[in-house]
Amino acid sequence: MNRMDISRKLVIGFLFAASLFAMSAMKAEAAEKAVDNYNLHCVQCHGSAGTGKGINAPFLAVQPRNHTSDKDMSSLTDSNVFKAIKEGGIAVGKSTQMPPFGGVLTDAEINDLVKHLRAMCKCKGPA
Amino acid sequence: MKEEVTRVNRMIVLCCLMLAVMFGTSAMAADGKGIVDKNKCGSCHKMSGPAVKTIAEVMKRKAPDLFYAGSKFNKDWLVGYLQNPTTLRPAGTVYLNNITTEGDTDKVKGAPDKCASKLSAGDAAAAADYLMTLKDKSMKTGVAKIGDFSSARAKLLMTKDNACNACHELPKKGGGLSCPTFDGIGARLNPDWMYSFIQDPTHWDPRVWMAKGTFDDAQLQLMVNYLSSLK
Repeated sequence: MNRMDISRKLVIGFLFAASLFAMSAMKAEAAEKAVDNYNLHCVQCHGSAGTGKGINAPFLAVQPRNHTSDKDMSSLTDSNVFKAIKEGGIAVGKSTQMPPFGGVLTDAEINDLVKHLRAMCKCKGPA
Repeated sequence: MKEEVTRVNRMIVLCCLMLAVMFGTSAMAADGKGIVDKNKCGSCHKMSGPAVKTIAEVMKRKAPDLFYAGSKFNKDWLVGYLQNPTTLRPAGTVYLNNITTEGDTDKVKGAPDKCASKLSAGDAAAAADYLMTLKDKSMKTGVAKIGDFSSARAKLLMTKDNACNACHELPKKGGGLSCPTFDGIGARLNPDWMYSFIQDPTHWDPRVWMAKGTFDDAQLQLMVNYLSSLK
């Protein structure tokens, strides 16, 4: 192997490492933290305290769910909650007032939101 | 021969007139840019793309993006608004920056800041000319077909099947506060932009807090027709 080959391999290796680094940086930028997604998307109706009293709540025909309530949240399975966020309330037999966020949040972000909601209610869904 | 000369002269005059109009329009737009710069519109509005892509950046937004104003707005409305701005977003540009919590209930902190511009009629017209040059060339035009539509079906689609009024105020009926009012939206927005925004709001604002529904062309046309009628 001559010096030229070694240099070429080094350059290729460096470029590969750089692209991996760039890809991981992009991925990190693309995924938002669950708390930030909750604040931006959910608080407008469910409120800063998560009790269903956001600024839009008085104008809704159905009271937004209280995310801090064990009683309200433990009756829902995690897949139910995921589906409601992704496809809207109607997908789980609830109100159309809960819109589908699947077009603006990734599945990974919605899964993180489900975990965030479980932390808020300090509860689990039915097994 | 004489007729030929007259025809050529006419054509020269016509060309000169066309050039004068073209030059006049671009000069107006150039003047408009000066007015926009002088009034520091860019200190609150993003005047060049691309749109921000993170929530942290959204939270720093002071006023709506204007780098696609020419695709979004109707020019006549812009001319009026720049002379006498009104509040279009009841809870401010980013609602999350303008709420307070009493007990466990959120309230809007107070009347959000209005746009500071109060331009003269001439400056407003020139600024609007310039703003209308700021377009997203990827937006399809001539898509929205404004015509006869069923208001009852549109209301059903936008309030019962999809709760648009949960976040947007309806004229005289009220509604949610976190998004721009529907009052006067027909005068304000270009129907093609409304079509595009409802179809995919993330194209315009990757971290928008509006949900993205799945609508077919007939539903989009119905919504855009209804919104365009709210003048």
